[in-house]
Amino acid sequence: MTHRPPSAFLEFVVRFARNRGAVLGAVIIVLVIALALAAPWLIDKNPLRIVSRPEVWPFTNPRFPLGTDSIGRNIFAMIAYGARTTLMIGIVAALTATAIGVVIGAAAAWFGGWIDDVLTRITELFQTVPNILLIMTVVAILGQKIDNITVAIGITMWPGIARLTRAEFLTLKNREFVLACRSMGMSNIRIMAGEILPNAIPPVIVLASVIIGSSILFESAIAFLGLGDPNVASWGALIGDGRTLIRRSWYICAIPGLAIMLTVLAMNLIGDGLNDALNPKLRDR
Amino acid sequence: MKRSIVRRLFQIISLIIGVIVMNFTLIQMAPGSLLDIMTSEQQVTDPATLEHLRHLYGLDQSPLVQLLRYTWSVFTFDLGYSYRQNAPVFDIIMAQLPSTLLLMLTSLGVAVTLGMIAGVVASVKVNKVWDVVISLAAVFFFAAPTFWLGIMLIIFFAVQLDWLPVGGMTTIGEQFGPVGHVIDVLRHLILPALSLGLFYAAIYTRVMRASMLEVFSLDFVRTARAKGLSKTRVILAHVFRNALLPVVTLLGLQLGTVLGGSVVIEAVFSWPGIGSLMLDSVMSRNYPVVLGVFVLSAVVVAIANLLVDLAYYRLDPRIRSR
Repeated sequence: MTHRPPSAFLEFVVRFARNRGAVLGAVIIVLVIALALAAPWLIDKNPLRIVSRPEVWPFTNPRFPLGTDSIGRNIFAMIAYGARTTLMIGIVAALTATAIGVVIGAAAAWFGGWIDDVLTRITELFQTVPNILLIMTVVAILGQKIDNITVAIGITMWPGIARLTRAEFLTLKNREFVLACRSMGMSNIRIMAGEILPNAIPPVIVLASVIIGSSILFESAIAFLGLGDPNVASWGALIGDGRTLIRRSWYICAIPGLAIMLTVLAMNLIGDGLNDALNPKLRDR
Repeated sequence: MKRSIVRRLFQIISLIIGVIVMNFTLIQMAPGSLLDIMTSEQQVTDPATLEHLRHLYGLDQSPLVQLLRYTWSVFTFDLGYSYRQNAPVFDIIMAQLPSTLLLMLTSLGVAVTLGMIAGVVASVKVNKVWDVVISLAAVFFFAAPTFWLGIMLIIFFAVQLDWLPVGGMTTIGEQFGPVGHVIDVLRHLILPALSLGLFYAAIYTRVMRASMLEVFSLDFVRTARAKGLSKTRVILAHVFRNALLPVVTLLGLQLGTVLGGSVVIEAVFSWPGIGSLMLDSVMSRNYPVVLGVFVLSAVVVAIANLLVDLAYYRLDPRIRSR
């Protein structure tokens, strides 16, 4: 985006801001990022430490604004530190998925023939296998560490990106400007990365923003099932821990779930806004 | 038609082989071997027994031979033996599969029915109050984690109101007649099917609404109205039918994730299906079962995809002529 003239960027911002939902989503995400960044200053302790008696209800003790969980850990601290985990996993997993998907989709479309066949089959394979089962298997085999979980989510989320990139590349690869590059003797990689990709990327960015939301949902499900990293505060794990207490202290489950929902909601709203801003033609249709 | 079915069958077979290779690679990457885990649990240290086990499970052969042997055995419905349950993996999974399929199909039924109705209503009342309410609900249910929604439903309907059971598939310790049994299972099914179904209903609502609006703008709809057909008839007989196609496509694409979703929901509601089996096997590193669940779920999804293709074929005559 940096090489575009500033007016194009301004136009992007204006189009994005016209979508009120997207602006709301952006505000929520900025707040979540602020919470994640400020966590060490707000609570300069290990969020997983026991600080009080268990099951203090929210809004009853100013030291624990969101109460404490089943073993007396500060829920606000875990929400703040959990925001770091959630955002990190969401963004890194989506970047991994986008990188894999773009490379595979671009290669399939550009080279065609048997390479396209094989890559399309592999894409279908990953699309058919139930994602959560693949993530569970990878995590079970590689171990319950935060980077393994991130990679596992990343390698299950790429098929959508690959299909989209392939479709975009197919429509672009026979256009005049590409033929011109070819006749000038540019290398395949240079044409693909330097000429076609910038034109193909807007819809990919929109999908990637939705994938951040889905990755967050997958991470929370894995942590909820007890397959998460035990040394990291996670919103999903907090829900899992609170399950046994739903009769008395249902707030332990409710609060982190609301946090997940708001964050994913915000990501999806931003996706809608990016769609309006980056693909104006699609929108007018 | 026949040709496309044969093509699909070939695709399913190549898919199964792909799943097997993928899993096999994953398991080769695992730190401990199958034998280590097996023997540490049973505390076997005798070298002769170890050697015997290694030979019995074919672990003394090269990975490639093991892979070929496993691939061949999958096609003869032999998924290996689970030392933990002491039974063939295929039998263990088959015993659990029906309850997962029941949950999965009910959830999909809920999702498609709710999604279609909500989508049609929203598109007919576009930009009116109902459209806004439905679209907002769809946005929320699309962002809520299904397992969390499930817990919230339990808290509200099972704990606070005491209308429905908290979990399980049947009431333990109760004897019902055949009809009573069905009603009992249905009562247990409502909350898990809703928690999973509402997420997908949100997706179908959005797709159905967009699809209906697109069809509304086509020429043949104006022709139908000009012929003097009533609005209801145009909506149901003309627009609805044509707007269904994207929903069917999506249904086929999402079967894998619905199966995955039911795995998570099973853990919330202690539903006795392959989800709980998978979780237990992952925790205990019981790889033959993990592998088996993986392969069989891919087969289930592939078969379901084939059925969706057939439905598509019936719905859209344009495909038949191709």
